[in-house]
Amino acid sequence: MSVGFPHFGNVYIPIKAMTKRLGAPDGEVIIPPPITQRTLDLGVKYSPQEACLPYKLTLGSLIEACELGADTLIQARGTGICRLGYYAKGQEQMLQDLGYNAHFLTLDVSHNKFIGIMRLIQDMNSNLPWREIIPAFFFAIGKLFALDKIEKVVQKVRAVEVEKGTASRIYREAINVVDEATGSKEVKEITKEYIHKLTQVPKDPTAKPLKVGIVGEIYVVIEPFANMDIELELGKLGIEVERTMTLSRWIKYSLFLNYLGVDEWKEVHKLAGPYVDHDIGGDGWESVGEKVLYAREGFDGVIHLAPFTCMPEIVAENIMPSTKEDIPVLTVTCDEQQSKQGMLTRLEAFVDLIGFRRRRREHGRRV
Amino acid sequence: MKAYLGIDVGSVTTKLALLDEDDQLIASTYLRTRGDPVDMVKQGLREIKKQTPREVEISGVATTGSGRYLASVLVGADLVKNEITTHAVAAMQHISDVQTIFEIGGQDSKIIVIRDGVVIDFGMNSVCAAGTGSFLEHQAERLNVRIEDFGEHALRSENPARIAGRCTVFAESDMIHKQQLGYPLDDIIYGLCQSLVRNYLNNVALGKEIQPRLVFQGGVAFNKGIIRAFNEAFDSGVYVPPHNELMGAIGAAILVREEIEIKQNHHKSNFKGFGVSDIEFKTSSFICKACPNLCEISQISADSKVLARWGGRCDMWERVSES
Repeated sequence: MSVGFPHFGNVYIPIKAMTKRLGAPDGEVIIPPPITQRTLDLGVKYSPQEACLPYKLTLGSLIEACELGADTLIQARGTGICRLGYYAKGQEQMLQDLGYNAHFLTLDVSHNKFIGIMRLIQDMNSNLPWREIIPAFFFAIGKLFALDKIEKVVQKVRAVEVEKGTASRIYREAINVVDEATGSKEVKEITKEYIHKLTQVPKDPTAKPLKVGIVGEIYVVIEPFANMDIELELGKLGIEVERTMTLSRWIKYSLFLNYLGVDEWKEVHKLAGPYVDHDIGGDGWESVGEKVLYAREGFDGVIHLAPFTCMPEIVAENIMPSTKEDIPVLTVTCDEQQSKQGMLTRLEAFVDLIGFRRRRREHGRRV
Repeated sequence: MKAYLGIDVGSVTTKLALLDEDDQLIASTYLRTRGDPVDMVKQGLREIKKQTPREVEISGVATTGSGRYLASVLVGADLVKNEITTHAVAAMQHISDVQTIFEIGGQDSKIIVIRDGVVIDFGMNSVCAAGTGSFLEHQAERLNVRIEDFGEHALRSENPARIAGRCTVFAESDMIHKQQLGYPLDDIIYGLCQSLVRNYLNNVALGKEIQPRLVFQGGVAFNKGIIRAFNEAFDSGVYVPPHNELMGAIGAAILVREEIEIKQNHHKSNFKGFGVSDIEFKTSSFICKACPNLCEISQISADSKVLARWGGRCDMWERVSES
């Protein structure tokens, strides 16, 4: 069995860590090449035109995994969330038409996620005992937690670093080092070391960076290729970025705390309440609530990332202007037609807009 | 005398505006880019030099428009600013009570919403170029009418033809259809203007709060037919400022003046001087094969020295060695 999966942020790192830890033979888990233009081109070519970018990118990534010999593919499925529920079926069909006879192992992301993931791992590792699987699993997700922790610092440093690009370079290095790490203690040390490195980056002491919150559909929010490195670009413009959605947060709650009755979105849903009081699919409800949250927390702006044709985010986009909590929102539609130059022009104008607003707030009317 | 130069390199036209310290226009030029922005910037500088009195000293230069980065490398700009901000700044300077700006240029159209002297919202066309200058120009050519005469025809129309405006392709086939049915030229032309305005209001301006005073600027604001269509759509009518086509360049010049004045005398302009017009620049492009992204990298060089590179997904080519 050769297991492949689509790329999604840093999710490949724990998968790799776990297979190594469990002593899987070479070739049993196939890491597809990083998402590139080629991945997108493949995905676009073999997807219905109106499918969303996450569908196209994951299909492209799965095709690239098949090219490397994957015969078993992992994909998410779910009920009542969005078209994601159909991803696996549609992609399985397409891959068959292309002549890849890959078997799909799907992970239900709507119910019983912890058990689902454990079953999946057991399926992949031909019934290894739980006492081996569970520690390997915790070691693996530890890497994700470490990277997300480092990234939170990167998002702040990028805005104020003297030499643009330094923090991103350190982060890229951290990803590789964490990926190579073989023990939990080592991962902890690396995290400390890299956070220290980031605090040492020369920064502009006078800078009071504008703060922007990122909301939207989870795949395009987390996968930098899908959002054209928007966080990096905002950093270059001197903007501090905050984003609630991370893979480690998803794991923390969906796999553990939700079982204890902790709902990570409770507060956000409550804030969205006056404008939308029920799930509208995908991450739409959360997008509205987070907009309100960022407005209340005194952020300067919100960037809303929405895949083209994504119904939940279209609904959210149209609800957002009606909230009484006033904060500028820029919706960036992510799809294969979007040009980076066009996005940058909008980002620059948005940054000017929120900058004018802050100056007016601080110095009275005339700016 | 100190003066500030704004250069707006758009997809279709290149505009230069030279302002004095009181933001009064000293010299300006409006040229067609014709696919060669480098040459147009050089030619524009030549024009400005001709119009500028000897005693004027260029204290700051700013570039804007879709070619702003290229132009900034060519001339040595002190400020590079997006066209949404520059348009807003220029309009606010000239029309103090402006609340909404319609800006229609060669390849893009925008709406800018202003309240109390601050931009609070904006919109820009994304995938569709229906309702922009180049679309109108293309149709004028098809109708065998000079774009300069387009407006006059539109003003003569009494029963405008209703032309589908959702998308350029549909508009074009609908227009041909109306031609074949024998509609008079004037009515087709004005129908086209109306469909362009409808398209603009339904796409770019969708969901924006449009409040007077409405200011209409950009190259398309020369077109009397479009003005008529806007005036019919809004009771308050639209106001077209003088120099509507130069607003981006004027805004850029104002912004660089403000920025340099804040720095007072600590700043020396990066402007390379009018001699730039005589430098041979070479633009070229290549495909980077370092990874499967296959980015198209374009570069500009002078005297076999690379000045700048663009177009990569990563920063591999962005750094240009100083040697």
